[in-house]
Amino acid sequence: MNVLRWWWGLLLAFALVALVRVFLPLPFANEIIIFSIYTMGCNYLLGRIGFISFGQPAYLAVGAYAAAFYLFYFGNNPYVGILIGVAAGVVVSFAIGPLFVRLRGDYFALVNLALAVIIFYLMQKVLAGITHGDNGLWFLTNLASTPVLDLSRPDQFFIFAFLVAFALWAFFKYLDDSIFGACCLATKINEDKVKFLGYSSFKIRLIAFVIANTTTALAGAMYAVYLGFVSPEITSPARAADPVVVTILGGVGTLYGPIVGSIVYTGMKDVLSKVLGNWELVIGFVLVFIMLAGEKGIWGTLEPLFKKLYLRVTGGAAARERSSR
Amino acid sequence: MIDTQLLISGVIFGLSLGSIFFLMTIGLSLCFGLMRIISLDQLLYYSVGAYITFSVSAVLGNIWLGVIAGMIVAGLSALVVERVVFRRIYERDLPFTMITSFGVLIGGVGVIKYFWGLVPRPVPVPISAQIDIIGTDIPVYRLVIVAIAFLVYFGIWLFLNRTIIGKAIRAGTEDVEHVEGLGINVYRLFTITFVIAGGLSGLAGGLYAPLIMVDPNMGLDVLAFVFMVVIIGGLGSIKGTLVSSFLIGQVVSIGSLIYAPLAQMAPFAIMLLILLVKPTGLFGSKMIKR
Repeated sequence: MNVLRWWWGLLLAFALVALVRVFLPLPFANEIIIFSIYTMGCNYLLGRIGFISFGQPAYLAVGAYAAAFYLFYFGNNPYVGILIGVAAGVVVSFAIGPLFVRLRGDYFALVNLALAVIIFYLMQKVLAGITHGDNGLWFLTNLASTPVLDLSRPDQFFIFAFLVAFALWAFFKYLDDSIFGACCLATKINEDKVKFLGYSSFKIRLIAFVIANTTTALAGAMYAVYLGFVSPEITSPARAADPVVVTILGGVGTLYGPIVGSIVYTGMKDVLSKVLGNWELVIGFVLVFIMLAGEKGIWGTLEPLFKKLYLRVTGGAAARERSSR
Repeated sequence: MIDTQLLISGVIFGLSLGSIFFLMTIGLSLCFGLMRIISLDQLLYYSVGAYITFSVSAVLGNIWLGVIAGMIVAGLSALVVERVVFRRIYERDLPFTMITSFGVLIGGVGVIKYFWGLVPRPVPVPISAQIDIIGTDIPVYRLVIVAIAFLVYFGIWLFLNRTIIGKAIRAGTEDVEHVEGLGINVYRLFTITFVIAGGLSGLAGGLYAPLIMVDPNMGLDVLAFVFMVVIIGGLGSIKGTLVSSFLIGQVVSIGSLIYAPLAQMAPFAIMLLILLVKPTGLFGSKMIKR
């Protein structure tokens, strides 16, 4: 029974996501899944250790280009490509993590954004011989069809992405319940007290940094395999705020915020940019509005209401029993 | 190694670039020092200044009038944003102000796109004369930019050290509550600082407009360099901002002479090195949110 209680929220959420697939076109559903994985990394950084990062596209590009290099030059198995993307994410975040997590929150954000810009130039100009500059790497036809789930077909890719996202959410839910999750939150709230308790706040932050950015790199690798094409556009500074915006739109630090945020964001982008043709205006004002309205975001506002509703439906009886005893 | 003529023009180019960076980052630095906010929307006032310069100079035919108008309009839009948005969030933590100001920046870019469209606009150079320095032809306009930057530096210095308001601002950087206790309205100080910062960013945009194409994303293009300047100099320090903006200006311009992609990579490498040694930047103090 306890096991079921732990899982039911996740199962319900992903049942709803699966429902989205039925009603909406496939590219839209795929976009939502990958984008929510992308946002989850940012959400973990911002919500759990309190580090805001405007440089998530940098790690997205690391994953995407690692997968793309493998698929373009060496092999043709998309699963291996995704694994290589994840491995690159781990290596890169371990390499720069110790340097970055020492910084104060505001410097961290600035340095990350600078990193994103540097990787943009690196991919666009410096390594143009390998990355083909702005033309990007096209390898859709290189993808071999794999047994069980054929990643070169969008409909089967969706099932794969869905399973990956489900596993990832279970992992993050587990992290939230673990001692490590508690340590992360404690570092965010009061670093000195965490040190006083004998934990190394540096190590906690480093591990959280690596987890978050590996998640982002995974999203990058999945983008690469799904689109069959990678260009420097993926890390352009103009898109640096996307994950932060979606995190805040969904609700910072909530488990399902990224999914809700990605659905709303992708939907708004699709509908509004057709109507208005001026995407920045909308997203800028939405961002400022949410920040001024209490920075809770959509899911952050809805979650307490759902909990209250749930308690009224199921917990009411239990509470009455307890009070009568 | 490098031709002397190229080197001299490179140094002058770097100086003028550094001046522009200085004018833009001084606003960020002042805002951080006094209000403890990171105001990314300074980059918006930079584009506003450039666009107003473009429009006014196209109508009136005089670019200097355009630059002045750009500065005024940028200051006014800073005033509006301060009144509507920032007044409500001074008490919040740094990342919060940063996200909000990024929202203002993106929304403002949308507004600019709405009024002026997506097409990049050219602005003619006001002084086309060239001056001969050790056998190298240098455009006078770039020297004028450097001169204006130094004038602004001394103006700010005089303002902060010789006027009552400036002294109050400096005192507020140390301890806002004490200043408030002396009966000074700190929110008025905040407004004044914010408008000055916005105006200077607008001035930077107006001055730089003739040297580049004016386009809606011009603020986002320099974003990374501005960040690197404030990080290297240390947030909240005007002297640090001056030093690091000229440092970055030189690194970008000399770096691009040696090997073109170095222009973008070298500042980043320098920033990482400095952060390794001193995580608060060259002149930054360990100031935290009060």
